[in-house]
Amino acid sequence: MKLKLNKIVVLVAITALSTLMSSCFKEEPLNAECDIEKAWVHVSNVDAYFYSPTDSLIEVISTEDKIVFNMRDGADITALAPQFVITDGATITPASGTVHDFSNGPVTYTVTSQDGNWSRKYTVECNRVSHYTTAVWNFDFEHFELDPSNESSYYIWHNTLPDGSLGNDWASGNAGFKLSMKFALPNEYPTSVLEDSYDGHGVQLVTRSTGALGQMSKKPIAAGNMFLGRFNVTKALTKTMEATEFGIPFTQKPLRLSGYYQYSPSTPFIDKNFNEYPDRIDAGDIYSVLYINHDRNGNPVVLYGDNVLSSDLIVAVARVASVNETNGEWVHFDIEYEYRKDIDEELLKERGYNLTIVFSSSIEGATFEGAIGSTLKVDKVRLTCETKE
Amino acid sequence: MSAWAATPNDNNRSNLQKFFHNVEGYGRLGYSIGGTAPMGMPAEIRKLNKFILQPNVSFGADLIKPASQHWGVLAGIHFENKAMHIDATVKNYHMQITQGGQTLEGRFTGKNDSHAVQWTFTIPVQAVYKFNDKWKLKFGPYFSYVTSCNFDGFAYDGYLRVDDPTGAKVLLGNTDEERGNYDFRDDVRKVQWGMGVGVDYFFARRFGIFADLNWGLSGFFKSSFKTLDQTLYPIYGTLGIAYRFK
Repeated sequence: MKLKLNKIVVLVAITALSTLMSSCFKEEPLNAECDIEKAWVHVSNVDAYFYSPTDSLIEVISTEDKIVFNMRDGADITALAPQFVITDGATITPASGTVHDFSNGPVTYTVTSQDGNWSRKYTVECNRVSHYTTAVWNFDFEHFELDPSNESSYYIWHNTLPDGSLGNDWASGNAGFKLSMKFALPNEYPTSVLEDSYDGHGVQLVTRSTGALGQMSKKPIAAGNMFLGRFNVTKALTKTMEATEFGIPFTQKPLRLSGYYQYSPSTPFIDKNFNEYPDRIDAGDIYSVLYINHDRNGNPVVLYGDNVLSSDLIVAVARVASVNETNGEWVHFDIEYEYRKDIDEELLKERGYNLTIVFSSSIEGATFEGAIGSTLKVDKVRLTCETKE
Repeated sequence: MSAWAATPNDNNRSNLQKFFHNVEGYGRLGYSIGGTAPMGMPAEIRKLNKFILQPNVSFGADLIKPASQHWGVLAGIHFENKAMHIDATVKNYHMQITQGGQTLEGRFTGKNDSHAVQWTFTIPVQAVYKFNDKWKLKFGPYFSYVTSCNFDGFAYDGYLRVDDPTGAKVLLGNTDEERGNYDFRDDVRKVQWGMGVGVDYFFARRFGIFADLNWGLSGFFKSSFKTLDQTLYPIYGTLGIAYRFK
């Protein structure tokens, strides 16, 4: 009898505790996200529409709300039916697979989350790619704005295309910096606008501290960077090297890269663990890479922070030998592309090459080594390309 | 010495003696299991992956003053640890990664490992109902002073939507460098209170076992702390052995 009572007490206690522990789980809430994750256009004769079949499928990154299909010059875009992979349970209007005329400009789609509480608007555009034959591309950094999708926290730049229209080919790591320093002002970001530059506005790249949050995740600095390509913030805290997607399709053969820069290295030089190296002096980096944007099996390739200067797919590199202290003076650089492989003219026309131009305020910034405060100023960059008679 | 001066002293002593002649003293040693948890599990918490037992010892002394044949009053002082370590899967869970005043806030879907510790001095004040020499029921409030505490953890193997479900999607991995750490120890409430209920069973004249449940009614965090959507309450059960001094 004694034992029984004893057991009952223990049993009651255990039951009470385990009830508390599990507190019974509720039904799974409906999904709150409302993303287009992938977009593609299915056409019977894909080669008539796209330079590469892989251009017909776009992996949309979470921060993008403009989806652009790059298509052949003469492609008929009056009746296309883009299809989408969206967040599970979400709905999209107009529906995936409905036919639209894209010749009048972008079509707007709205995705609404499964729980009905959230929605995002996307524009889908079919861009018939112009083949420029410009001898010299000008990059003057005069067209910038505060990122409209991001509560106006940092600058984004638009490049002037040879026909005078504005492109979105410049990218920076500012979105990654924002993860740790959300209260930074636009000119406190690693990549910002330089007033009174060599000529009008320029771009100012400063290696910044990412504060306690960045230090915790062993990313104590963010080098100021600017490059032709795309920044994928989704990978900024994990596969950091893959966050910088270098390169845009380019259909001309680049010959020379020139421009003006100023550099001032700061101290102390630190590594990702915040160890100081009194003997090391920070340096900037200015280079450009042309590479083949598909592998042997035809899969699209984009170069990342860890292979942009080492990949087998690289065709040509132009790099300023050393970007060191300039004592407040503007220094002119003019470098030639060194070709490692011959250019395949046919592939060039078919958008088979990617070009990137990269500026960084700390040469080892990709591995979070450098000195907080090192500053690279860049302006009036010129890209000279081969022209055919 | 003067007799009149000694008299009140003697009276006092006898009053004290009178008061204490039937007071029972107990020593207790226990182990607690429980959690610092919201009232009612929010739907965003999907699954408990791990519940890691913590060194939740408690020891203390109680005095019981009988007031009638069955009823009495208990007061005591306990030193105890209410710690928990859980790993849970969450979906679209509002959270904040913090370090040195910097924050990254949003909706997290993935796994969350959190660890709470609080060493407290606790004073229970309870009514006691004594069925017989073996069985007692106890019920009443307790007050705790937190002497040292911690509440930290990390989000991992998942992704954060910055600010809200339409914000930038940022993956979090499972290494020191890829996790999202947080530490809210500075926001823990120092003085807490709650209700306790318990039962004592004495299988011998001096030795017994007990089971107590202490249900926190003041939030684990200061009321100014808004990072978590739910108020967390420390709810712990204690099992242990008791010793009757007299």
